[in-house]
Amino acid sequence: MLRSFDVRSALLSLAILASILAVWQITTHVPDTGPVSVVLSQDQMGRLLDKNMSSEDIEFYTSQGVAFLQLEQIASLNLSREIIDAAGGIRALGISVPDENSAPAPGSLFPSPAKIGIELWATVTDPFYVAGTNDMGYGIQIGYSLLRVVIGYTLAALVAIPLGFLIGMSPLAYKALDPFIQVLKPISPLAWMPIALFTIGDSELSSLFVIFVCSLWPMLTNTAFGVASVRSDWVNVARTHELSTWRTALTVILPAAAPTIVTGMRISIGIAWLVIVAAEMLVGGTGIGYVVWNEWNGLRLDRMIVAILFIGVMGMLLDTAFARLQRAVAYVE
Amino acid sequence: MTHFKDPFNPNIDVWNECGEANGGPADPYAGLSAEDADVLRRRAKQSLKPEVGMTRALESSVMQGLFKTDISRRAFLRSAGVTTALAAVATVFPLSSLQLMAEEAMKNLEKTKLTLGFVPITCATPIIGGHALGFYERYGLDVDIVKTAGWAVSRDKCLNGEYDGSHLLFPMPMAMSLGVGSTAQPWKVVANVNTNGQAIVLANKHRDNQDPKNWKGFKFAVPFEYSMHNLLLRNYVAAAGLDPDRDIQIRVVPPPEMVANLRSENVDGYLAPDPFCQRAVYDQVGFIHKLTLDLWKQHPCCVFGLSEKFIGENPNTTMALTTSILEATAAAETSEGRVAFAESMAPANYLNQPVEILKQILTGVFPDGQGNIKNVPDRISFMPLPTQTMGTWVLSQLRRWNYIENDTNYATLAENLVMTTTTRERMRAMMVADANLTFPDAEQDVYAPVEIQGQEFVPSAAQQFIDSQPFSRTI
Amino acid sequence: MARSFLSIERLTQQFPDGAGGTMTVFENATFGVEKGEFVCILGHSGCGKSTIMNILAGLAEPTSGVVKMDGEHVSGPSLDRGVVFQNYSLLPWLTALKNVTFAVAARFPKWTKQQVIEHSTAFLEKVGLTGDAIHRKPSQLSGGMRQRVSIARAFANEPKLLLLDEPFGALDALTRGTIQDELINVWSQTEQTVFMITHDIDEAILLADRILLMTNGPLARVAESVEITIPRPRNRTEIVEHPNYYAIRNHLVQFLGQRSKELSGMSSDDIDQRPQSVHIDKTADLDIQADAMHENPRLRAISE
Repeated sequence: MLRSFDVRSALLSLAILASILAVWQITTHVPDTGPVSVVLSQDQMGRLLDKNMSSEDIEFYTSQGVAFLQLEQIASLNLSREIIDAAGGIRALGISVPDENSAPAPGSLFPSPAKIGIELWATVTDPFYVAGTNDMGYGIQIGYSLLRVVIGYTLAALVAIPLGFLIGMSPLAYKALDPFIQVLKPISPLAWMPIALFTIGDSELSSLFVIFVCSLWPMLTNTAFGVASVRSDWVNVARTHELSTWRTALTVILPAAAPTIVTGMRISIGIAWLVIVAAEMLVGGTGIGYVVWNEWNGLRLDRMIVAILFIGVMGMLLDTAFARLQRAVAYVE
Repeated sequence: MTHFKDPFNPNIDVWNECGEANGGPADPYAGLSAEDADVLRRRAKQSLKPEVGMTRALESSVMQGLFKTDISRRAFLRSAGVTTALAAVATVFPLSSLQLMAEEAMKNLEKTKLTLGFVPITCATPIIGGHALGFYERYGLDVDIVKTAGWAVSRDKCLNGEYDGSHLLFPMPMAMSLGVGSTAQPWKVVANVNTNGQAIVLANKHRDNQDPKNWKGFKFAVPFEYSMHNLLLRNYVAAAGLDPDRDIQIRVVPPPEMVANLRSENVDGYLAPDPFCQRAVYDQVGFIHKLTLDLWKQHPCCVFGLSEKFIGENPNTTMALTTSILEATAAAETSEGRVAFAESMAPANYLNQPVEILKQILTGVFPDGQGNIKNVPDRISFMPLPTQTMGTWVLSQLRRWNYIENDTNYATLAENLVMTTTTRERMRAMMVADANLTFPDAEQDVYAPVEIQGQEFVPSAAQQFIDSQPFSRTI
Repeated sequence: MARSFLSIERLTQQFPDGAGGTMTVFENATFGVEKGEFVCILGHSGCGKSTIMNILAGLAEPTSGVVKMDGEHVSGPSLDRGVVFQNYSLLPWLTALKNVTFAVAARFPKWTKQQVIEHSTAFLEKVGLTGDAIHRKPSQLSGGMRQRVSIARAFANEPKLLLLDEPFGALDALTRGTIQDELINVWSQTEQTVFMITHDIDEAILLADRILLMTNGPLARVAESVEITIPRPRNRTEIVEHPNYYAIRNHLVQFLGQRSKELSGMSSDDIDQRPQSVHIDKTADLDIQADAMHENPRLRAISE
């Protein structure tokens, strides 16, 4: 019964996805019919020939869908086939002014799923190419982002968890530090970035710092809260068994607060992943955030969506990993 | 192991990357006369020495200039014979003097591994194409160029030493040296990397409203506050009787977002660098209202900047770097160079743009989005000499709009920040060394008055000039 | 006077009353517990039983007065004084067995892992927990089973003094009975000194050698010390037939119902507040005992 429920929900998910993709494809698909030949009147033809445009050229240009208005200008400017080719070809040059009847321009439509699929396939099949410092495979770029997240996040955990422990175990510290934490916590990563760039200078260290500082707070507050709210009974058990402070922390408080701490860690890793993308978009160079910016810069929406898809999948994987950890340390009272 | 690719070997492809991927011939000397094979073997052996390798790179570029493609080069070598070709090429091109100069520049480089920043726009053509086409290597420099998200980040990375040098906007080294908008650190304008090359783009709905007098309430985007774009736009609307701070709104928007903002009608137009002006036409969301060269012929825009500290510590590297960028700038100005640079910059590693857009921009043959096809060969120009007139105009305009507060001696300051003399000397020396190299602007009067929007700007009377301008914030 | 194994001397506990003054829970309480003795303390809620318990456990500090065990000052918690809390206080992320081994390992740090496990398993067995159940987490155990684990943990540690804080308060009557039997069973095998808080008069009579009666607070007093003159082993079904049972029970009911109120709120006047010893024994008059049984046929029928 449960099996069949799973199967049915999976089928429903697939059906929803398929229908979204289908609608998306239908609404955004532009059939590449190629240029529609323009037919010139006898008079127009004559005027072009008068301006020394060869009939061979006229035939070629009209076959590429260039209208008389443009052809007349080309003829007046005396632009040769060579010049036109050097300038990127007749089709791009002969682009006419958009009106209600004109087909949408190549960059004006949202990319269709099929187009995105092609780019997705290209990136998945060749994830580790290096075509220069500014153009590397998505695999390498995700690697850069992950590395930054791991370093910044680990540093944050190394600071936040022990510090959270101390704060949680001391009600005085908890109360004294709370206002600072409350003020610093909601500061956006994008606000930290210029401060970091200004004070630290190095942009790589700045990105690490921003990840560090943004993933610090949820872990710190959750650890402190988790530790502070460990049931006094359990602490009393530790006390009546004469456990040292160190052992109490490790064998009673840590496992008791673990679910809250791991929840904080899970929130933090999500934030860290959000932050790295923002930081890389700002600082550039490497990383999946830089890829998004770079594709945006080239107005390649299809490739940008692929990058965004990767960001989502990576974020989900990171979250799933912590969800597992969360289940591992959970307990029922 | 990488084989030295001798441009005089008729059996191998030197420039064609695909040929390499397919694997060269098993024997690179097959089918050659004994004499020719011998000459080539000797050359291959010699090329292991670094200074000779340099020469070979130069030869390669000369050959590429002559033949363009591997196919025609190989055909020529096969028919003429290697030894004959070597002699013939040497008489036409002063390889030895080029060589001498390159070797001179390569001597005692303080630093060979360099990181340069660039913002992905066509203004940076010499810096980007210089990398793609190997101009830095000729002078023994191993240069990484790093794409940068925006001018503020560029500035910060310059100030914190991540970049040895960078593509900057003309006003930026001045703002950085004066500590306006950032901490103060002396930076210099080494050379222009482009002149002209910008445009005012308006949304399609304004096609029938092209008189700036009627633009009250328009929202415009510029790429940065300390930019020629901002100063030129302000000057343009002010001349039409609009106060740029009150009658219109000027926003700083990163160039790639300009097209999207225009499409979603968040802005009515922008004064921005290419490719984002031509891109608006290509995507049919806007049209080119005016090229900036119609406001000021040969106006400066982007520059190559170095810090005073770097120049002081690395005089020889500075020389080599300047030489390679000047050479790339001169190459980009030629009509063949324009096409080659456009092609080299299109990949994702550089500008990440459709090649036809870049070609339209660099060749100056383009549709303007209003139904016209234009042929403006100097739509973007590559005149490297940064003049004192440019420096003075920029500084005084920064003052006009109150970006710098104290009244300064613009001429003296410009003298200090714009490296006119050194760069001009370099240009002259390069032209002496290579007769085929021309810098049309090398001998111009760097203090000459210029005509900007029909008004004469005399640098020595900069203060009087801005005081007389409408909406000037100096009084 | 010979000093008791556990002696409570002039114990006073005051708390701020929240209005700037102080509230005295009890004053100068003085009593003792002998080695191997099972003592229950009976009293209404809020009279300070738990406060006394916490002080004995070392989890709370008295305002004044001392507790001595084996002649030594008690201060802070110690492995010598094991505690069974009303809410079991098992660590929920550990299995039943691990909850016990955790404590045993703390008590006997030099033991091998094997020894710890054997010792713990043995004590779990004494309270009727065997097999698969000991590998379950507390959340997977019933309330009764959890309290068994808690008792096993306390006994396994072999403390000099065992403190039980209403251990059966949260259990249903049937379970309570079974575990009481198990508690007696373990206790009789170990000869532990036990100090237990309870609300339940019958439980106290069944388990205790002596019952301390507390008056209501504030200014509560340990007013009486009632000796349970019913021989061991005691059996819940037969104990009611003992001639002293109802006599003691009536005395206790009467104290809790009436005198605990009358005696409350009296200042100690700085005198040691010792409980008054009460000895009730009706076994000398067997006829009375027999009559008492005839008068109560219904009860008898149930006990069979």
